Amino acid sequence: MPNDPVIRTHKLSKTYKGVQALKSLDLEVPGNSIFGFLGPNGAGKTTTIKLLLGLIHPTGGSAEVFGHDIVGDTIDVRRRIGYLAQEPRYYEHMTARETLRFTARCFYGGPKLALEKRVEETLELVGLADKADRPIRGFSSGERQRLGIGQAQVNDPDLLILDEPASSLDPMGRRDVLEIMERLRERATVFYSTHILDDVQRVSDTVAILNNGELVAKAPIEELLAGSDGIVYTIDVKGNGSDAEQRVAGQPWVSDVQITREHDCAHWLVRVTDDTAAESQLLRLMLADEHVVVTAFGRRTYDLEDVFMNLVEENGDGER
Amino acid sequence: MESASVRLEVAGGRGPLTGFGNLVDKEYGTWFRTRRALIHNVLWLAVINGLLLLIGLDEMGRNPYFILDELIEVFFRACGFFAAIGIVVSTQSSVLGERKLGTAEWVLSKPVTREAFILSKFVVNGASFVGLAVLIPSVVFFLQTLLLAYLQPSLAAFLLGSAIHVELLVFYLALTLALSTWMNSRGAVSGVAIGFMFAGFILPGFLPWLLAGTPWALSEFAATAARGRPLPAEAWQPILVTLLWTVLLVLVALWRFNREEF
Repeated sequence: MPNDPVIRTHKLSKTYKGVQALKSLDLEVPGNSIFGFLGPNGAGKTTTIKLLLGLIHPTGGSAEVFGHDIVGDTIDVRRRIGYLAQEPRYYEHMTARETLRFTARCFYGGPKLALEKRVEETLELVGLADKADRPIRGFSSGERQRLGIGQAQVNDPDLLILDEPASSLDPMGRRDVLEIMERLRERATVFYSTHILDDVQRVSDTVAILNNGELVAKAPIEELLAGSDGIVYTIDVKGNGSDAEQRVAGQPWVSDVQITREHDCAHWLVRVTDDTAAESQLLRLMLADEHVVVTAFGRRTYDLEDVFMNLVEENGDGER
Repeated sequence: MESASVRLEVAGGRGPLTGFGNLVDKEYGTWFRTRRALIHNVLWLAVINGLLLLIGLDEMGRNPYFILDELIEVFFRACGFFAAIGIVVSTQSSVLGERKLGTAEWVLSKPVTREAFILSKFVVNGASFVGLAVLIPSVVFFLQTLLLAYLQPSLAAFLLGSAIHVELLVFYLALTLALSTWMNSRGAVSGVAIGFMFAGFILPGFLPWLLAGTPWALSEFAATAARGRPLPAEAWQPILVTLLWTVLLVLVALWRFNREEF
């Protein structure tokens, strides 16, 4: 089932020497989604990723990836994952081709011809074909990141886990990474941590925000950007709007109207209970009044940055 | 990604050695697809066979049997000591370096087991080092004895001595790997391993019974066996105990590495 959760955690916890890095995380990541995992430094994002990969051991709770337990069936979990670490490190003496060949052989037994073809295709895909036979020690950070993306998808993974994939890239590199993520959405789930909120807003379907090791929000991106204070329309108005105000406030689907004035302009916040009615009638009601000029009209949405900052500040500043 | 007309076969295996073959190939690459093997080859030929050549030239004109005995003694005792230090120094960062640099984390994020990771290092480092610091110098040693003493050691006796010598090197390899899963400093790993080696020169003077439970007497046994002389009756004990220590150290390395967090 494509949209069944591919990752399920149940009260997953991790403590390092008395410090709780992850506190009882309950998370479900739907299949074929691009799932953005946000949080300030030290929030527990990398800890969660490392737990899923079996690189560290949970101190409490459990988690499953594709129905496999992350502790007992870690090899089965890793067979279906492609992973790019925050600061990926490879064997410096190896070439890009050797690195991809080594990675591919972790997943495939052969035949050699098909394996080499997969390596070649991956080199092309990440734009390293012309540097394929150079040792990695001479690679720039952008080339290393490209290699990282290549090795993370050489096994055609069902789940791609990327830990801060664009943090060290220039704008072109970031664009490439986002394109690869979008391309993979059709046949894989992408779970990635980041603090670059623009990228999240651009490509993610669902977002989870972690702070101080705790999940503080998880929702589809549209829901998160709509805010938590109900359906609110914003209207900028010029002229005398007192009649219009009475008319709007008198509608049964309007719960509140707040107006702030500045010079000859007024900024209206209209809170409604029925979005369908508001969509079809609100603007019409305003335009029906010949004493007012509507200069802006729309449903209020938030920037992810606003949502993120509000949630993180409500739950502490993320520093430990 | 549809790769080729020939479909890729998913790697099988679910046991503790999942990924072992690929890791063995990668480890061999660190020796033989770099200049590392060549450097070791030149180094050990210079240290072992160079030293033997100097001694042989110095002893020229003496009784050939005496020269042969002396060369075998030097080969297994002095050169054995250098080789034991060599295996510690050359493998001290094999696990520790990967833990610290992050390559171990990368490899272990793929479907390979931690057991396969450690055992591939044990097998490949052991085989490569023995090949470069024992096998090749031994072949050259046979030519040297022919040229310097006009004699050659008994092959069977020399092989028995070499087997004991290899056992000693493998013990120090296991010790180094076990230490490098525990410690976080290369200096500490090699310091403890080489310190243990030097303790073998001092402690048995005060506590001779230690020789029965340690590998410290193995170089002497190797030289005795290679000269074709009978081993002392009590020699089986340290030979067997060293083997057990080696197995135990590998198990300790596996146990500790399974608890490592990356």
